Amino acid sequence: MTFIKSIGQAVLGLATLAIVSGANAQAEPLPYPNKVVTLVTHSSPGGGSDVFLREMTKYLGRYIDATFIVENVQGGSGGKAMARVASGPADGSVFYATTPTYIYTSLMSKPQSTYKDMDPLVNIFADSEVIYTRTDGPYKSLKDVIEHAKKERGRWGAANPASLERQAAEQLKRAAGVTPAIVTHEGGGDMMLNVLNGTLDIGIGEIQELRSQLDAGKITLLATFNPERITEKPDVPTVKELGYDVSLVKFRGLAGPKGVPDATKAVWDEAIKNLLADPEYKKAYTAEVLVPQLIGEKDYPAFINNFATSTEEFLKSTGAIK
Amino acid sequence: MTTIMDIIRLLTETPLIFVSIAGLTWGILGGALPGISASITMALVLPFTYTMDPAQAIALLACVYIGAEYGGSIPAILIRTPGTNSSAATVIDGYELNRQGRAGEALGISLMSGVIGSLFGLAMLIMLTEPLSWLALAFTPASYFGLGILGLSVIASMSGGSLIKGLAAATVGLMIATVGTDPISGVTRFTFDIPDLLGGVEPVLVMVGLFALTELMSQSGSTNTTQLNQKIKIKLPSLAVMNRLKRSQFIGCVLGLFEGLTPGGGGSIAAFMSYNEAKRWSKTPHLFGKGSEEGVAAPEAANNTVASTALIPLLSFGIPSSNSTAVLLGGLLMHGLIPGPRLFEQSAQVIDSIYVGSFIAIIAQIGVGIIILPACIWLVNRPRPYRAGFIFALILSGIFTLNNSLFDLGIALALGLVGFLMRIAGFPVLPMILGVVLGHMVESSYRRSLVLSGGDHMIFLQDPIAVALLSIALIFVVFSLSREVRDARKTRIEEARS
Repeated sequence: MTFIKSIGQAVLGLATLAIVSGANAQAEPLPYPNKVVTLVTHSSPGGGSDVFLREMTKYLGRYIDATFIVENVQGGSGGKAMARVASGPADGSVFYATTPTYIYTSLMSKPQSTYKDMDPLVNIFADSEVIYTRTDGPYKSLKDVIEHAKKERGRWGAANPASLERQAAEQLKRAAGVTPAIVTHEGGGDMMLNVLNGTLDIGIGEIQELRSQLDAGKITLLATFNPERITEKPDVPTVKELGYDVSLVKFRGLAGPKGVPDATKAVWDEAIKNLLADPEYKKAYTAEVLVPQLIGEKDYPAFINNFATSTEEFLKSTGAIK
Repeated sequence: MTTIMDIIRLLTETPLIFVSIAGLTWGILGGALPGISASITMALVLPFTYTMDPAQAIALLACVYIGAEYGGSIPAILIRTPGTNSSAATVIDGYELNRQGRAGEALGISLMSGVIGSLFGLAMLIMLTEPLSWLALAFTPASYFGLGILGLSVIASMSGGSLIKGLAAATVGLMIATVGTDPISGVTRFTFDIPDLLGGVEPVLVMVGLFALTELMSQSGSTNTTQLNQKIKIKLPSLAVMNRLKRSQFIGCVLGLFEGLTPGGGGSIAAFMSYNEAKRWSKTPHLFGKGSEEGVAAPEAANNTVASTALIPLLSFGIPSSNSTAVLLGGLLMHGLIPGPRLFEQSAQVIDSIYVGSFIAIIAQIGVGIIILPACIWLVNRPRPYRAGFIFALILSGIFTLNNSLFDLGIALALGLVGFLMRIAGFPVLPMILGVVLGHMVESSYRRSLVLSGGDHMIFLQDPIAVALLSIALIFVVFSLSREVRDARKTRIEEARS
């Protein structure tokens, strides 16, 4: 069956190639030392990072003169994908799609290779993390939810046990001085049900996962954990504005093996800047409510390290790690 | 590049009927390969649908699912190895019929029961998707706990004689289910710092190891070769036979409907439960386990019903109730289709092509099933060493394809050995598999409920669905215990007489 899978990958590669080469290049793509660049993700085909990479590779060929292939290395919550990239050639031919998951896995489960064994390259997006409730429920604002949690036992949902959403919930709980039950789930769909049927007061999740119910008017956004308001949803306040000093960034970027040449890194900085300005791509990612957040190769390592430090503190405080 | 684009276009812009039958055929073949589950079969074809028209791509995936659910029963009957997880229940009586030289009949019953289940499931899908979507919504964590316990309550009747050995096997299964990341706190358990164990032991590895590898090991040890060299002809059941099976098929359809609607289960639980219920309501329960036609009809009707009804929570809420529908969800998202209440308004064409494509596939299943069966029988009639080697290679590559992981291979092989030792010691493997499949759901929903209630167990008695499911589970346990005691007494009396 691996044979069939490799045929599948070959066809997929050809299809990507066709799309990439068929598109009209607006600017001359930047020269690149490798013909083929493999972008590795721990997510399964159709999962968050997979969709992000595949969508991006459709346009990336306009700005970097190479062919991009997405490789799914599942298993070990990202542990295997990290090992694959960390031990790969540092010539710019292989990169890993970063998300907070790779920090969590590195901290919690001592995999063979951790985030420390890779060089952060560039950050591209931040997903919007939001607090939502059911539209016909009793809560009209985050204040209502906090007030309720002061009087009775509040019930707040987070998508996964070791996740940025859980961290956000715990931090908000502390900042507001309330003690609701924080109920973790196995994925956002699972939690959505419990918000819709009234088991939970609020859920904390990524806006992408909520779009269908949001469009149908079944749920309402109460606040966002983003540092700034979401451009497409200007009426939704940030948690910080509401007086609780919690904000977080669910980043999406790339990291490579240690020692990628500076010249190659510079190509990416330039290309991602142009890519984010591409009108067609902009239309696609705006529809996905992805907020462009370009952090170049100079600042990205510090950003990742800060994130890892605060996450480690949080995990220690909840007893998840020692 | 133009030529490749043209070829892709030619291949993909063909009418729905071609897409459906192609999907069905691939599904039957994939399902028939042991170790390649319905979800793997679908995942393998997923890359090919990237460039297709969304409506056809989704219809293709739905048809692969239908085909795989039937295909899984072919090796279940012929070589005692379920091709897919949900055909595990079919092994019990299907293989027994094969040993009695009635493989053709068993295959015919499986095919026709599958068609009936699929048609029923499709009718339910079309009629109930929108109105019934509230049911998924009514399920709280407490209700899921009830559902899991209901699933576990069938252990007693699956222990094949020794209840104690069955419970012991189930406990081992539940223990395996605790490996991995704790579902509530995120702490790692029994992972021994091995990253591959973070996600736990996947149920598919346990099933493949305990069923398929164990069977290969036992087969290698036996010298009896005569039974497999017979010429098997597919025998579609006559009207009289179908009439005799209608009760068990009805049970399969109804349980398949519920299992498809309720997330978390999937076809395997429906198949086991309907096997159990068909036995309970049968006029000839003593034949179960000894080659009962009903024992094939009920699980096959159930798992084929699930292939359609599992789309109900998926399409109306975007909630995948099985691995296969999770792959389908990936397919939908890949084409920019977001399942949910608005899918029906915005992408009516996709919904229509799922309905029409499934219908074509179900009808074509009778023909395609008959055409493909001789090929499968030919395979089974190859000399045993070749076949065993071939199946072994297939199983291992199938497991490897799952996560491209050698570690998974090790787990499956180790479990194969465990299963072999269990068989020697007379322990049933089915309860162990059920423990692995359900353990995670039971544990996480139990603990989630207690987090919600602040540690108060009354939450399980306040939720009406949980109360209903737990009561049914209690009745199951009491009934199967009393039957166990009665049977044991009867056997003792008979032994005393003889």
